[in-house]
Amino acid sequence: MSDLQLEIKHLIIEALGLEDMVAADIGADLPLFGEGLGLDSVDALELGLAIQKRFGIKIDAEAKDTRQHFANVASLTAFVAARQTA
Amino acid sequence: MLGVMDFRIEQWRAWAPGLESKDDWRTWCEAPVRVADGQQQPDVSFLPAMQRRRLSRLARMLFQVAWPLAEAYPALPLIFASRHGETPRTLAILNDLARDEPLSPTQFSLSVHNAIIGQWSILRGDTSEMTAVAAAGDGLEHAMLEASMLLGEGAPAVLLVIAEEAPPAVYAPYVDDVPFPYAVALLLTPGDDWHLQLGSGAGQTAAWPHPLNLLRALCCGQPTLVHHWNNRQWIWSHNKA
Repeated sequence: MSDLQLEIKHLIIEALGLEDMVAADIGADLPLFGEGLGLDSVDALELGLAIQKRFGIKIDAEAKDTRQHFANVASLTAFVAARQTA
Repeated sequence: MLGVMDFRIEQWRAWAPGLESKDDWRTWCEAPVRVADGQQQPDVSFLPAMQRRRLSRLARMLFQVAWPLAEAYPALPLIFASRHGETPRTLAILNDLARDEPLSPTQFSLSVHNAIIGQWSILRGDTSEMTAVAAAGDGLEHAMLEASMLLGEGAPAVLLVIAEEAPPAVYAPYVDDVPFPYAVALLLTPGDDWHLQLGSGAGQTAAWPHPLNLLRALCCGQPTLVHHWNNRQWIWSHNKA
């Protein structure tokens, strides 16, 4: 697991108040929304905000591929890594 | 006639830091003191973690006192009264605004006064009528008025919860009616055990928030209780000792 992946897992737990959960509980391929971790639309907004604040990147909520970037920790990590080096 | 209410207090529960059981409250009622707030969280472990994660302490206080009273009622109207509501959430939003930072969607959506009863409705799967009241010193009596009207319309039972969170430090100098965080839940049913009457007249205001005075009456079997606020005189009387 990359450092960035771990950081994003911790960010998810902290920003969304996932009591009783540790990074190891969130598999990199586990779907974050709906089935899987079970996050909802308010979580999507909150997580988007947390990512923007932590990594200083802009996220376009209307963009079609935003949904794919937020599918799981692996895709989110790839997205953040790409934006950070862009 | 407006201003005269009859009802039965079927059950009650209360929470404050360090005061959870009926025995804790009986001891407190005999010798009331300002209890220290160690930021204890009310136990809501009966809710799955994913469901309780967004509940503020104020919301947890409501769930903690109200949940057991609602067990026997799949559909139970709720009156929630709080003068100050989710002030800590509003302050967090104001702080973000002052720092020119984006607002937390969670804080924003849950800062409104009826957010807690919305969460209650969702988590209990109960779509009964639910009302959030904000009133000053006689918020309990105004909540009783709402509850009495529901009972008058034929509700078999009504849940009333009145709760206050400790004010954030910056507001503390302006808030003198929350000696410590507390929540009181009453399960009300039709009956004439209790009689509550509104009259007019000035008088000394109560030493403790009135819900706590009511607890003292309930614990000590005190038959009457007079409460003055804003030239309103509320007289509570218990018919069956």
